[in-house]
Parts: sequence; structure tokens; C-alpha cells
Amino acid sequence: MSGLNNRARWVAVVGALSLGAVAACTPSGDEGGDGGGGELTWAIGGAEAQPGGIHQRIAEMWSEQNPDNPISIEVLPEAADQQREQQALELQAEGSGFDVLGMDVIWTGEYSENGWVESLEDVRDEIESVSLPGPFESAVWGGELWAAPYNSNAGFLFYRTDLVDQPPTTWEEMCQMATQIGQQEDIGGFVGQGARYEGFVVNWLEYYWSGGGELFNEDQSEVTFDTDTATQATEFMADANQSGCFAPGFNTAQEEEARNEFQSGNAVFMRNWPYAYDLIKDDQASPIREQFDIAPLPTFTGEGTISALGGFNNAVSAFSDNKEMAKEFVVWASTDEEVQTMMATEASLPPTRESVYQDLADDPVMSLLGEVLPDAKPRPPAPQWNAISVEMQRALFPAYNGEANIQDSVQTVDEFLQSTVE
Amino acid sequence: MARRRGLSETALARVFVSPSIILMALVAAFPVIYAFVLSLQAYTRRIGEGWAGIDNYVEALSDERFWTSLQFTFIFTITSVAAEFVIGLGFALLMNQAFRGRGVTRAAILVPWVIPTVIAAQMWFFMFNVTPGFINSVFGLGNFNWLGQSGWATFAVIFADVWKTAPFVALLLLAGLQTIPGDVYESARVDGAKMFQRFWHITMPLLKPAILVALLFRTVEALRVYDLPQVMTGGAFDTESLSILVQQYIVLTPDPGYGSALSTITFILILGIGMIFVTLLGRDLVIGGEEER
Repeated sequence: MSGLNNRARWVAVVGALSLGAVAACTPSGDEGGDGGGGELTWAIGGAEAQPGGIHQRIAEMWSEQNPDNPISIEVLPEAADQQREQQALELQAEGSGFDVLGMDVIWTGEYSENGWVESLEDVRDEIESVSLPGPFESAVWGGELWAAPYNSNAGFLFYRTDLVDQPPTTWEEMCQMATQIGQQEDIGGFVGQGARYEGFVVNWLEYYWSGGGELFNEDQSEVTFDTDTATQATEFMADANQSGCFAPGFNTAQEEEARNEFQSGNAVFMRNWPYAYDLIKDDQASPIREQFDIAPLPTFTGEGTISALGGFNNAVSAFSDNKEMAKEFVVWASTDEEVQTMMATEASLPPTRESVYQDLADDPVMSLLGEVLPDAKPRPPAPQWNAISVEMQRALFPAYNGEANIQDSVQTVDEFLQSTVE
Repeated sequence: MARRRGLSETALARVFVSPSIILMALVAAFPVIYAFVLSLQAYTRRIGEGWAGIDNYVEALSDERFWTSLQFTFIFTITSVAAEFVIGLGFALLMNQAFRGRGVTRAAILVPWVIPTVIAAQMWFFMFNVTPGFINSVFGLGNFNWLGQSGWATFAVIFADVWKTAPFVALLLLAGLQTIPGDVYESARVDGAKMFQRFWHITMPLLKPAILVALLFRTVEALRVYDLPQVMTGGAFDTESLSILVQQYIVLTPDPGYGSALSTITFILILGIGMIFVTLLGRDLVIGGEEER
């Protein structure tokens, strides 16, 4: 889950496939890596992997500094699931076509248990000392470091400065304001990611975590699912859906639907990723481009903030012919100040290096990220994460929409989580 | 005597046909057989763990989720194919008439069919969804949440499918209509048959093969629907089709064994229903020929 609108990506992907672009996305195998030559191949996807994107520029920078071991990008599709599928095809065949793997933060467990990635334990200190704890945690599975954090992401509360004086600190307060102001102004209250997809799980987890809940214990060997907090979080969503706190269409909205509503002035609050900030600020047609601000997400206790963590880590393929250089590259991309700063200043991609946020404290997005990210939590990078997510969508989505019993649904999630550790 | 030296005509035909049969078998049968083999194996995500026998099938058939998606798939197939047939037949009869602007009408009717399904699905998502809510503003429905509640979500997906493929049915039926010779109608008119009688006793029986072909194509396609519900609702509110379920298990979760079992079940289902149509069609072609007195 790297953030943006999955539905739009899906359309783009299918469109690309029908144009025959599938050949371009397929690992070519004979490029880079083979024969232990100097060249490295970095398999990463998304908009920034395209020519001119920040990943490409970072690759060029490495190649200039290491002319003997230049790196080139194998551009993977837009959608995270499709990227994972492309990498899996190569790795399952033990192909050496990819040396460096750009991994979504939730794939760590799966990749390490499949034996697809090299352990980075020997460079752990170097990475841990400069990285934010949340992104670092997402690269650890079974107590071992499998990837180097690269870029991060966290959710914000966007609010209308013309309608709200002080951003709310609790979810209840937020809902009260959303309902009341929404009615006064005849606009929607709160928009977020409420459709049935991964983004819903992310939003639900933010409610659940902010009430003190956890899914697993520290080393993910035991389920610590708190059914009371889960019930509270789901009931909050169900009530908000009924009371008019959630804007109409909340339960079919992904990132882009939410942004469009907020951007056209039809909502008081929005939960979204940082990418929305610049898009709204730069939209001359938006009636609210000068009338909104960002704040940390509220919690149930009113203390602190918690956000779900997105982003990508880089790992070294277990089948690479050039593991040493590949490892050097992932450490460099994760720890080099210039690389990490460039990501923030030139692509608005949140870096994982802690110090960058202090250096860029003047930028509103980066300074808020600096505030939010230390408390951001990764979704458990368990090998079963996709199955868990599907199960949570299945159980909790109907529950908050009033189509299933909340207690039973929470129970179902608990049982499924238990079944994954046995 | 000459026969003994060469192959018989039938045998020779078999030899000539066999390369294409083998090629078709490789292309068509291999994936089916491979999926079946996969479906008999146990997987933990992508890592195979040996044979599972029919465990995957037992699990699939006892999973409530399978039955829910089967139910949606059937509701979708029956209602969408029925509506497409009625509307398509109407269009076909219209396009078969000689009138001013027939060319333009034909082209206009076919436009939805030309649009790729994913694009059409995304478009109808925008039309139905609360934001931007085109349908709601046109009909003054306020914030009616078409895609965000049970029942109406199913309706929206079916509506989009009918819009998209009724023209295809119309096209097939139009081709059938044009094979009916005009003098049959003329003599019926001379005999005093009313318009409805002409339609019921001449058009329908003579159109039957075309109708069956259209229904066969549409039913088989509707049973494996994926893109429309995936894009419009993501499978929420009981709009999860069998194919969405298969995709989820094969690609997303992933459990290739279980996913292949689901896809094999889907295949058998579609094959069975397809066979019924083909049998009907075959009999109709034979009997239909005899019945023409």
C-alpha cells in the first residue's frame, strides 16, 4: 500500500496491459546481475520509478559515484499487488534478474520466510542509528533486519481553517465538529478511505491503535488483539456513519474520492496522505486552497497521535550475483543524507532518515511528518498480512455499515489472527 | 487395391487436422489441466507442501464466502442476460427496419460496446458514486448512496453491464434477423397475420439459433465477470463474483492451491452451462431444419 488511489491505478494497469506493455514489465533476466558483472538491477515501481522520477535520479547519482557498479531500474507496475506479483515471478524461479528489491512495508515477513531476501543484520547498526523507528520496525521480521528503510508515509488530518479554529484532538470531538459544521454549511463532515480495500484496514487500524489496541506482541509470536478496543473502534465508525459525521459516500471512497471532496470544499475534515497537500495548494480552481491546514490525526484518549505507516524499503535479493554491491546500495539509499533530503525536497516523498526532518522544519508537510512519523505504526509485516487484511475487510466493513453484528465481526477477526500464529 | 497403399479419406483428414487440434489443445487445455493439478496441492502462500487430495475442494465448498459469491454471480448472470436479451432484441428489431437515419442509429447503439469494460466500469463508478454523483444530480436524488448499500450496489453493477453489452446482443440478433427472407413475412401478411403474430410465429422461431448463440456468449461471459464489480465496488456489499474470489486467492493472499480449486469449480460450472446451450443449439439446428414444412 503506497497510498494513492488503487482503483485509478488498477485502471491504468489494465490499460497498460492491453497495450501490450506487459512485455516491458516482465523481468528480462538477461540484464544486469548475470555473470557477476558490475551492473545492478533495482526492481521498483510507482510513478517515481518512471524516467525523471526521483528513484531514477537516485539511481543515476549512484551510478555516477560508482561507475564500476552502475544501477539501472527495472520499472514495475503502478499498483503494489502487481509489483509484488512481478517480483514473485522472478524470485520464485530463483532468477538473478533483480539485485535490489523495492518492497512495500508489509511484505517483509513474506519475503524473508520465502528465503527471497538477504539478511542485513551485519549492517543493522549503521541503518538503525539514523532511521525513524517506525519504518525501521517495518523492515524487521523474526528479530532480524531484512531490508533498509527507504521512504515512508503517514496519514494527516486535513481541516478547514475557515470553519475550524483549533484542530480536534479526539475522534469524538472531531465527529462533533464535523456533524455540526457540516450541517451548518450544508457540506459533508469527515472524508477518508472507507471503501472495502486495504485503505479501509489502514483507517480502521488508526482508530484501533489510537484506542490503545495492538494486533500482535513485539516479536509477532502472539496475538494481543483487544476485542473491547476493536469493538469501540468499529462502533465509532458505525455511529459516525449513521450520525452524518462521515460524509455521504464515505464507504465507497478511496484516497482520490476523499481528496476530490475536500478539494472542492465539500467536507470539513479529511484523513489522507501527504501527497494531497501540494495537489490542493496548487489547484487554482479549488475554493479552499488557502483555507486548509494539516494536523496530526486525533486519538480516542486525546493524547499523542498515531498513524499507519506506508512506504517502501529496499532489500537485497537472495539470488543476486552481486550481493555485496547490492547491499552497499541499499545502505547508501537508506542512510545517505543527500539522497534522503533529495527525496523530500524534490519529490515530496517522506524520507526515513530522522535528521532530514529537522533540516526541513520550515516545510509544513515535512515538519508535521517529523512530528507524526516517530509515533507512526507499521501494519504487521507478517507473511500472512494480505490474508489478514482481506479477512478484516470481510468482517469489519459490513459491521461498520450496519450489515453485520459488530461483536461477532470482531470475534471473527480475533479468531483469524489466532489461526495465523498457530 | 489403391486404398491399401494410402490412408483412407477419414484418416487423411485426421492427419491434416491434427496439428491444429494439438495446438488448440496446448493453448486451451494445458492451463485447465495445470490448474486442476495445482488445485490438488497444498500451499502455504507460494511455497508448495505436497499433495492435498480434494481438501481444497472440500474447503471451498464448505466456505460460506464461496456460496455468497456464487449467489451474486448467478443473480448477476440471470438478470443481466435477461435484460440484455430484451433490450438487445428491441434494438435489433429497430435496426432491422428501413428508416431514415438507420446508419446513425446503428452506430450510436454500438458505442457502449466499443468502450473497454474497465473504462466503462470506472465511468459508471463516477456516475453512480455519491461523489461526483452525476446520476444523483440529474435525478435530484441528493446523496443517494448507490454503491454503498446492499441491493443497489448489485443493481448498479448489473445496470452498467446491461448498458455495456446489450448492443452486442443486438448485433448478434440483427445478423440473425437479416437471414430471414422477406417473402416469408409477405405471404404471412397476405394470409392476414397481425404484427404480433408475425413476430411470434415467424421471427422468433427463425431467430432461435441466433438467440441461443447470443445467450450462450452472454451467459458464459457473465458467469466469469470480474472487471465491473472489481472497479465499481471492489466486491463490497455482496457484489463479489467468483472470479474476484479466484483472483484474490491466486494473486493476493496467495494460496494457488485453493485459488485453483475455486477456478476449477468455476470452470466446471461454466462448462456445464455452456454444454447445455450447445446441446440445445445442436438439436435446434437439426430439428429446426426438419420443422420447416
